[in-house]
Amino acid sequence: MALATLRGVSFTYAYTNEPALRDINLTLEEGLLYAIIGPNASGKSTLCALLRGIVPLFHEGELTGSAEIRGRNLFDWDPAELSREIGYVFENPFTQISGIKETVFEEIALGLENLGMPSDEVIDRVEQVVEQLELGALVAKNPNELSGGQRQKVAFASIIAMDADVIVIDEPTSQLDPESSDAVFAIIANLKKKGKSIVLVEHKMDLVAQYADRVIALNGGRLVIEGPTSEVFTSPLLNASDIARPAVTDLAEALAKVGRPLARTPVTRAEAADLIRARMKGGPRANRSR
Amino acid sequence: MSSESGNSVAFGNRFRTHVDRGNPIRNMDPIVVFIVLVAIAIAPIAFPGFVAAAIVCLVYPVIALFAGVAREFLPTYLRLFLVVGLVLFVLRAAFIEGKDPLFRLGNIAPTWAGMEEGARFALLVMAISGAVTLFFNVATVRYLMLALELRGVTPRATYVILASFQSIIDLGRHARTVLEAQQSRGIETQGNIIVRARAFFPILAPVFLAAINQTEERAISLDARAFNSNVSHTHLVTLRPARPREIVFAVVVVAAVLVAFIGSALGWL
Amino acid sequence: MVNESAVVKFFKGYGRLTIFMMPIGIAINFIGGQIALLLKLPVYLDSIGTILVGATCGMGPGAVVGAISNILNAITSPPTLAFGVLNIMFGLLAGYLARRGVFKSWSKTLLSAIPFALIGGVLGAIITIWVFGGLAVGGGAIVVGALVALGLDVNTANFVAQVPMDILDKVPTVMIVFAIIKGIPNRTHAKLPLGYIYLGKNKAGASTKPSGTSVS
Repeated sequence: MALATLRGVSFTYAYTNEPALRDINLTLEEGLLYAIIGPNASGKSTLCALLRGIVPLFHEGELTGSAEIRGRNLFDWDPAELSREIGYVFENPFTQISGIKETVFEEIALGLENLGMPSDEVIDRVEQVVEQLELGALVAKNPNELSGGQRQKVAFASIIAMDADVIVIDEPTSQLDPESSDAVFAIIANLKKKGKSIVLVEHKMDLVAQYADRVIALNGGRLVIEGPTSEVFTSPLLNASDIARPAVTDLAEALAKVGRPLARTPVTRAEAADLIRARMKGGPRANRSR
Repeated sequence: MSSESGNSVAFGNRFRTHVDRGNPIRNMDPIVVFIVLVAIAIAPIAFPGFVAAAIVCLVYPVIALFAGVAREFLPTYLRLFLVVGLVLFVLRAAFIEGKDPLFRLGNIAPTWAGMEEGARFALLVMAISGAVTLFFNVATVRYLMLALELRGVTPRATYVILASFQSIIDLGRHARTVLEAQQSRGIETQGNIIVRARAFFPILAPVFLAAINQTEERAISLDARAFNSNVSHTHLVTLRPARPREIVFAVVVVAAVLVAFIGSALGWL
Repeated sequence: MVNESAVVKFFKGYGRLTIFMMPIGIAINFIGGQIALLLKLPVYLDSIGTILVGATCGMGPGAVVGAISNILNAITSPPTLAFGVLNIMFGLLAGYLARRGVFKSWSKTLLSAIPFALIGGVLGAIITIWVFGGLAVGGGAIVVGALVALGLDVNTANFVAQVPMDILDKVPTVMIVFAIIKGIPNRTHAKLPLGYIYLGKNKAGASTKPSGTSVS
């Protein structure tokens, strides 16, 4: 069963003229990490909201085409059930703190209380998540007094504590420094290893290249390309639509332009390092063959 | 880090037992505290004169002392006595007309009866005010909401009250930031009343609108935390159930006050 | 009969954003009052949130915002509890007037200051007279005292002091409410119980559940 199947989906928010999504055909499989990339206002957040049913159940508008989530038509889902199966972390960390809890520990526990989990289990689960995300120093703090980055981590922790099968994350690292961004992605990769399906929006292409199984590139509400990460980043389609790529991919392309291409185009840093190392060893021969 | 996670385990363990607020009175069930304080507050109405009301007003500081909230309660209560109690007393004492005024000052002719009536009324108001202030100091809104939730009140209702506290803090902070920004940009917030009144609008309208614009995201984010789920919610923080002796105490107080009212109605007092 | 499902229904039945608007309405009441004090304005401006929520979410939520604001105020100033019914009435009246389209035009909104001030002034005076025998504390108490000293009888003094003060308070209040309603984006109005009024729709269109291809 696919995580989501979209056929000819277009969506226009009520009270706007331009569609946010145009004729999207897409199948997302379970158990993978999908990254949605694209310039601003390309429909990334709307696609996330659609997977979670927020569009069009909360933000109304005109939806055409058909959207199936986990084999069931979006409109046949009970919204409460959908919110339990699909965790959703969105961009703004300030509105994701409930404002009704006194400590970070209680804030993370809120979702579990709402799910009716017995309190001893709630405590164990929150402790696990706190350890996993290294939030120990924050547990006793007032979540309403945290910095943007800290709030983002708490919001993320609050959702992964709920242990949904699918987690949609709109820009998990927008407020984080590079080190914390790496840490958050390591946790996301770990979640995938445990069998979760992940869909996230991310601007840091090096992280996308390193962690995503597949990439969905959007531009102007249209699907540019969807496929395995390395294929998408090396596709000419991506180039044509002005979407950022990992730095090493750009570098390889620049090398190719000056007549010194690598054996293949890398997308991750590790790959690039290997290729460059190989070239430095076998460099002269490679050169001679040209 | 191991030391940090060690902290979180220690921190989490506090939720495994009922909340201990470190004081037997503050550990009482907020609903029981409410009932007892309401009974005490209205009791003096059953008695003639101002003595009963005065006694009740003196009982509150004693309760506050034993509950360990004297530092919060006393300044507020004293201020209320000066700002409210004293004014009520003076106005009544001065304007209630009667025979044999104590002295005359223009239209003002206070009488002994007026002074007594003024004292009774001011002290009755203070008896009720003291109960309200003491209740919120002892029980606190947070624990009252928890007690209500544990009795089946929907978290949607308690959310409104709990969230309003944070909203007051957030909006207040935002409004002051905007106010300072306006001042530094040279928009006058002092000077004559028209100038000041004109400053009011550009400070508040954007702050209020920003808060309203956030409601959509707040709705989505709480929904993502299963706020709308249909199962009955559990509670990480739990209150100790009311002890039998507390309930007996509450029943005795309420019964005594009832007897006082019945007695008053039958003319015993 | 009080049962929980009625409470649940109340909170669920009033549109999806209502319970998120109510805390903000309460905060607006407080901050409006605080900034008015800070700017040393001679008006309360502490019912903006009540009227705003009444006008956008309906009579019930408006009344709840008024009631809760009053209870929270009572924490530090218990005698204000006696005037709680005023705030509740403001919320109810705002919801009622909103349904009649009053807050859609600025001139009608301006005129609505009169009924609000009459409630505030007349009902406020009546409560002062009933509960406090005409000699309450607060805004007009000293004025009332002065008027009585000048020979006016206590009841008249209350009305004379309170009604004009309330007009002065309610004119800026309703105008701010009007400006905020104008500034609320359409997509937010669409999620508020009375938003249909400001979107120029009839009620039937707004109350149907969102379906596949809703809202044209």
